[in-house]
Amino acid sequence: MAKYVIGAIGALLGALVGMWLMLAPFALAYQGSGADWADPTYVDFWTGLLLLVISVAGLLLYVSGLVEELRRRGIVRRPYAAPAEQPQAPGSPQGNASGSENNMEQVLLPLVTAMLKDMQERERDGARQRDLDDVPQTRDAEGEGGVRR
Amino acid sequence: MAPQARIGLIVTTIAFFAGIWLFLAPFIVEYQKVGQDWIDATKNDLWTGGALIAISVLTLILFGAFALRDAARAAERERATGAEES
Repeated sequence: MAKYVIGAIGALLGALVGMWLMLAPFALAYQGSGADWADPTYVDFWTGLLLLVISVAGLLLYVSGLVEELRRRGIVRRPYAAPAEQPQAPGSPQGNASGSENNMEQVLLPLVTAMLKDMQERERDGARQRDLDDVPQTRDAEGEGGVRR
Repeated sequence: MAPQARIGLIVTTIAFFAGIWLFLAPFIVEYQKVGQDWIDATKNDLWTGGALIAISVLTLILFGAFALRDAARAAERERATGAEES
């Protein structure tokens, strides 16, 4: 990661040197304003412009490399990327990555547990009732058989 | 190495050659006569070219050093994970 920072600093300094070269003929007054450009002015201006463009391109490349490295290490999140869905075991809200979702699950968990318990009790009562209903029917069936005999 | 880093290195190398060009330009373009006192433009180009060469070389050396360090660490990590698996 440090290599990208070094490269970016080098490119930034290169861009500053390029800017200085473009301004130097006028700042150091070896190019009179309004006069035709002399040879040193041509050399400095065009070299400075080339250097500025190249250095800015290099700076962007080094910074994009740095951002890519940070994303690879998980320090910076990829923009507009869908959050990875993690498989979650039932009854373990701690596995959820999002804090708000975790809170919501913790609020809803007792309610869901109570509902499940209620449903199980109802099923149990229903089964017990069905057993009680079945007992006289079998007795009746046995009685009918006895009559037939 | 990431493609951005590779192109970044090429750009830094171009900046190094631009520094060499600046250093030599006063004598190649002949706005500085050999043996005469240096004019302002020559002084500026020599100092700026020298600074650019120094910056580029330093960037290349440090980039190479840190890239080698990263590669060595990655190789050590791979060796460690290979030893754990076997």
